[in-house]
Amino acid sequence: MIVDVQHVTKSYQGSKNILRDVSFTVEKGECLGLVGESGCGKSTLAKCLLRMEPIDSGSIQFNGQAIESLSERKLRPIRRKMQIVFQNPTASLNPKLKIKDSLLDPIEQLKGEADLNYFQFTSKKDYIRQLLEVVELPASMADRYPHQLSGGQRQRVTIARAISMEPELIVLDEPTASLDVISQGVVLELLDDLRRKLNLSYLFISHDLAAVHQMSQRIMVMKDGEVTDLFDKEDIFSDQRHAYTKELISIF
Amino acid sequence: MILSIKDVTIKNKDNTIIDNVSLSIREGEWFALVGQSGSGKSMITQAIGQLLPSSLKVEGNIYLRDTDLLSLDKKEIRQVRGKRITYIFQNYLGSFTPFHTIEHHFKEYMRVQGLNDTKLQNERMIESLESVALSQHLLKRFPSQLSGGQLQRVSIALALLFSPDIVIADEMTTALDSVSGYKILELLKQRQKETNCTILFITHDWRHVRKYADRLAVMKDGQIIESGGKHRILDHPQHSYTKQLIKAAPLLRKQLPSGLDQEEIL
Amino acid sequence: MKAMTINIDQRKKTKWKKVIAITAIILVIVSLLYTFAYLRHDSNHVDMGNRLAGMSLEHPLGTDHLGRDMLTRIWIGAQYTIGYSALALLASLLIGVPIGLLSGYFKGMIDRVFMRSADAFLAFPDTIVAIVLAGLLGPGIGNLILAITLIKWVNYARLVRSTVLAESQKEYIWIAKMNGLSPRKIVSKHLFPHVIGSVLVMASLDFGKVILLISAFSYIGLGVQPPMPEWGAMLNELRPYFNSMPQLMLYPGLAIVIVVLLTNLLGDYLRDYFDVKKEGKV
Repeated sequence: MIVDVQHVTKSYQGSKNILRDVSFTVEKGECLGLVGESGCGKSTLAKCLLRMEPIDSGSIQFNGQAIESLSERKLRPIRRKMQIVFQNPTASLNPKLKIKDSLLDPIEQLKGEADLNYFQFTSKKDYIRQLLEVVELPASMADRYPHQLSGGQRQRVTIARAISMEPELIVLDEPTASLDVISQGVVLELLDDLRRKLNLSYLFISHDLAAVHQMSQRIMVMKDGEVTDLFDKEDIFSDQRHAYTKELISIF
Repeated sequence: MILSIKDVTIKNKDNTIIDNVSLSIREGEWFALVGQSGSGKSMITQAIGQLLPSSLKVEGNIYLRDTDLLSLDKKEIRQVRGKRITYIFQNYLGSFTPFHTIEHHFKEYMRVQGLNDTKLQNERMIESLESVALSQHLLKRFPSQLSGGQLQRVSIALALLFSPDIVIADEMTTALDSVSGYKILELLKQRQKETNCTILFITHDWRHVRKYADRLAVMKDGQIIESGGKHRILDHPQHSYTKQLIKAAPLLRKQLPSGLDQEEIL
Repeated sequence: MKAMTINIDQRKKTKWKKVIAITAIILVIVSLLYTFAYLRHDSNHVDMGNRLAGMSLEHPLGTDHLGRDMLTRIWIGAQYTIGYSALALLASLLIGVPIGLLSGYFKGMIDRVFMRSADAFLAFPDTIVAIVLAGLLGPGIGNLILAITLIKWVNYARLVRSTVLAESQKEYIWIAKMNGLSPRKIVSKHLFPHVIGSVLVMASLDFGKVILLISAFSYIGLGVQPPMPEWGAMLNELRPYFNSMPQLMLYPGLAIVIVVLLTNLLGDYLRDYFDVKKEGKV
């Protein structure tokens, strides 16, 4: 078990609860899909899971260690093992930095050796070439600026950065929502490949049930800050599904 | 044919943006124009209502029944726009003036179309709000106080107010999440059944095409590469680009891309 | 096609600018050499027998009311006018940029303190503050530079702060924080490159304004004091001879105009230089 979230509650001042008693787990090597309408709390959940936002109550364990109240300093080595890919690749890359400089950000923070298994490299240049290769981009992209890349290519760069420290968990927050249809398909395929290759776990957040169904082993449905349904991919058409899940299915 | 686009070419100073496009849309059908952003699909819909900037030159003919829309002068096209052709846009906030109430939008639109009787105006307004399942008290609100879904419902109500020949819906659900987008399209479908209007539906989302369209055309780089009935194109695409597009959109069920179940065909 | 036409237009424009810049540089070098290697006048050497002389090889721009060589005085004046302006701007940058970076990145208390004090300065027009300060501290170039710095840092701090505030909202800063980058590293690696371009462009545009400000204050007697040949001070000194020898006032005036124009060109160049979107194509 990579992630174990139990009874997490979160509210912002002056508004109703954003997250209400949310519990779920993510297994090693698994892709857990998370579907819901905008405003159902799925992005807040992602931020709480990565400790970008504090939670009100409940517990979050990452690899068996409780992280909900760890200090920022103790959190640092754990952070490396959990990454996020946002919806908008343009805002996720510094437009003033070359691709290679963005990619080097995580590893440059390491004091001492990086304990990487998949990426074995002799120089920074070699490392970047491998990172780009794994997301199927040519090595020549390293010296470009983000605006010289297409949206799909940019999103691949942010994926390369997310896997650069060989994390155990990646939260994918609508990673294809801002891409055109063809790039969407290609990026989803790439993500699926990487999960197998690097034995990654994903929390895949989307409002596109079909994409979630394609990518995930289990699917979680949220509505108004609550988990209304959590089921294995194969059981999606089962009669036991929650009424809201059925409504979602009928759309597709 | 209610709308025929014949050999339309759109150029700016240096480039041909739309290259010799022809389309025919039948009365009462839901016609989808599919393509990636930048393929030129929006530009064609804007050419229909002469909404393009004057720096773009439009050649060819666009017939609404027997009228060539491109030959109309500014005054004449204004009478066609809003009465016989109406638009619903993606950017619902931009479609409304932020400092006018919903009621103001309705009344102004009716005045422009020559309906000045207050009693009649009120009747029409309430009737049309009911038809899109919105309550009357929204009339006093400002656009920013309504949700995206509600605003698109108002857009539908306004677009259908004077029973137009054709409604052009340009990516109208793209800015909404999938559940509210779905509800809006269900509503549009229902209203189409009731009023028998024709819909030209611009989208990049196969789900909507699969569910609602009767016929469709696929655009790429300013050209129509394939057009025909929904089942023909989705299940038996001819062009490699169409195949690529269909393959890229995941399906939930094991079914044919058009939505027909495998068994039904066998 | 469309993109290409724009490119050609821009190339024409840059070429034109290059011609101006190179011509100016050549003129400057030739005239500098002539003045200091060949003529070797003392800018403050009074020669009453030769006052208000016209153009000659010995005095290419003539002499002023005390018989001092105008060309030499313009050149010596350039050191003061440009040097003091650069000093005032540099001081403003050194105060404004760090304050803007800190305010925008850390927000909270630091931001409130800095920005409220900036608002206080902004409430008064530049010239009024400078006059009041000069009045309080007494006339003199040191006080004038102090006054200009106190006025100008606010603009830089605000520009930097608003850029940093906008960029900090973006996901790449979130990700950098998550990846353990220290605040110092985030500011220097991620935020500074966003800021430096616009700051230098603004500074190069301000350069002209500051030159005018120093000259204006020297003209009314609050800045550089005679006999120092600052351009504004020279204008002031030569005022009584405007009717008989108008060209004497024209020279320092023209010098100011040329420098302001050149700094604006420099600003254009810097803007292009720091815009990564300009280099290379997709």
